[in-house]
Amino acid sequence: MRKSFLSENPSVLWFIAALGLFTLMVTLLSEATGAGLISTSFVKTLGKTLCLCLIAIAMDVVWGYCGILSLGHFAFFGIGGYAIGMWLMYARTEGIVLESLAGQTIPPTPQEISDAIGNQIFGVVGSSEFPMIWAFADSLFLQLLMVVLVPGLLALVFGWLAFRSRVTGVYLSILTQAMTLALSLYLFQNDSGLRGNNGLSGLQNIPGFEGTPQSTIAIVFFLISAAALGAGYVFFAWIVSGKMGSVIKGIRDNEARVRFLGYHVESYKLFVFTITAVISGIAGALYYPQAGIINPGEIAPIASIYLAVWVAIGGRGRLYGAVIGAAFVSLLSSWFTGGGAPDINLGFYTIQWTDWWLVLLGVSFVAVTLLFPKGIGGLFDYLVRKQP
Amino acid sequence: MSMLLEVSGVSVSFDGFRAINNLSINFAPAELRAIIGPNGAGKTTFMDIVTGKTKPDEGHVIWGDKNISLLGMSESQIAREGIGRKFQKPTVFEDQTVRQNLAMALKNPRGPFAVLTHKKTAKNGARIEAIADEIGLLDSLTRPAGELSHGQKQWLEIGMLLAQDPRLLLVDEPAAGMTVEEREKTTDILRRAAETRAVVVVEHDMEFVRRLNCKVTVLHEGSVLAEGNLDHVTSNQQVIDVYLGRSHA
Repeated sequence: MRKSFLSENPSVLWFIAALGLFTLMVTLLSEATGAGLISTSFVKTLGKTLCLCLIAIAMDVVWGYCGILSLGHFAFFGIGGYAIGMWLMYARTEGIVLESLAGQTIPPTPQEISDAIGNQIFGVVGSSEFPMIWAFADSLFLQLLMVVLVPGLLALVFGWLAFRSRVTGVYLSILTQAMTLALSLYLFQNDSGLRGNNGLSGLQNIPGFEGTPQSTIAIVFFLISAAALGAGYVFFAWIVSGKMGSVIKGIRDNEARVRFLGYHVESYKLFVFTITAVISGIAGALYYPQAGIINPGEIAPIASIYLAVWVAIGGRGRLYGAVIGAAFVSLLSSWFTGGGAPDINLGFYTIQWTDWWLVLLGVSFVAVTLLFPKGIGGLFDYLVRKQP
Repeated sequence: MSMLLEVSGVSVSFDGFRAINNLSINFAPAELRAIIGPNGAGKTTFMDIVTGKTKPDEGHVIWGDKNISLLGMSESQIAREGIGRKFQKPTVFEDQTVRQNLAMALKNPRGPFAVLTHKKTAKNGARIEAIADEIGLLDSLTRPAGELSHGQKQWLEIGMLLAQDPRLLLVDEPAAGMTVEEREKTTDILRRAAETRAVVVVEHDMEFVRRLNCKVTVLHEGSVLAEGNLDHVTSNQQVIDVYLGRSHA
């Protein structure tokens, strides 16, 4: 079956080949494992971009294939980041605390150690108590489980309530925006237990690898991100091919018709919504150790809207389109907003891209939607059609 | 012989307007029936009630040998019970090929996990080809449904109904927008289907109903006005007054 799936979807093989080639090139040019032509910070940027590509294909499955315009998938991404961030922060702080207490003649009690760690982590929000949600923070395994379970359960409950009531279209989009906004506002509070607007920081320091240079850590995370994107791509390509793909595309094009064919549409939507939320959580868990910091601003409503813009520009309803859109627009975005693009002096006015990038992005979004509804990915149709 | 579907004493109102008024109508397991009536007679609402889209205010809808009530079941459950519905406007999945459209409709487990792990089998393939042959689309299996002509789309949708293998087919205006030859072919398909199952055709076009040559039920203001063969009902004075008379006026 696996063989027939790949032979019917040659674009999957092409994508994996391209991703493999790209990964090999970056590895050979990086500081840690190669010629050193690519700086460690740029390796991190590329690694983060791969994670954004992963959430973009999840978004494409839920929106481009199933027709659910979720404007809240970045919430799941953020939850994944927080879940792994809790372990990273806890374990690293524990290491520092134990080291500083090691010189004492009387060995510290477990309570003293716990208080000292709590003080380190929560001192910034005027607390030293560990909130309930940190109960598993000392276990990497349990926090990795949280990366998958928390976004999955949230999506399951939210989706069940929304789809059961047959909330669709723009109303559903607004609900998902409300979800991510509510989560973001909650996390901004100091007593949310996740350090309020400070967020979690120092995530680039991996406990147990204090002696390992960042250049090596960066390339390892880059490779893991690439593997995750490749696996996620094959997984989603498998979901959207075959009969499952037929049904979810049918739901996108005519929900009522699918219902009268005897399919329980709500179960399918819930399945797609939840599975994409889980993958988004995994993408977030890989992204934030490379970013080094996560705060509630990351899951502001605008982040999820950007996600939809990437997918629209890249081309909805084709997985490689989402990858192209996410990579192209997010890299361009950091180039423009990072001061990479030269300002344009018009004499009477100077266009500074840090301010004008959003205008350019907005105009491109409108232009793509109106003129090229298939997005950048649509160009491939012309290439394929030209061949005899 | 017990009835396949018994609708008794069903009423439904929308904002005070009684779309269906104490309607009672029965269908045998294998019959072809035409339902006619002027606009607003409640033909579409009747189909909405049977397929679970609309919940009636009162009355009973009893289905099958076990006499189960269809009220309170969801659209997809009713479809799985064996009631297929064709909409007035052809609604096929235009992005997908004829084969994919038929495969989706083919009677198989409908749960997400069964569908996810679904494997193509020779048996299913043969069923799809048999249905495609029946509706005259055997040569078009790999074409996207969006490329088909209007008549072909109507047939594809009828084929999707057949693939569901329902015991009752509700068909809303199958001949709308068809040429004369296409109508003849549609009549043949429906009559063959009615040999093994109940087929209910809602139609405006008297000529098409005459060609179906079957029992006719006339609806008016949400209830049955007359029932019998076409000549019988068209000679009924009440029918002439409310329907034929008005349309010829």
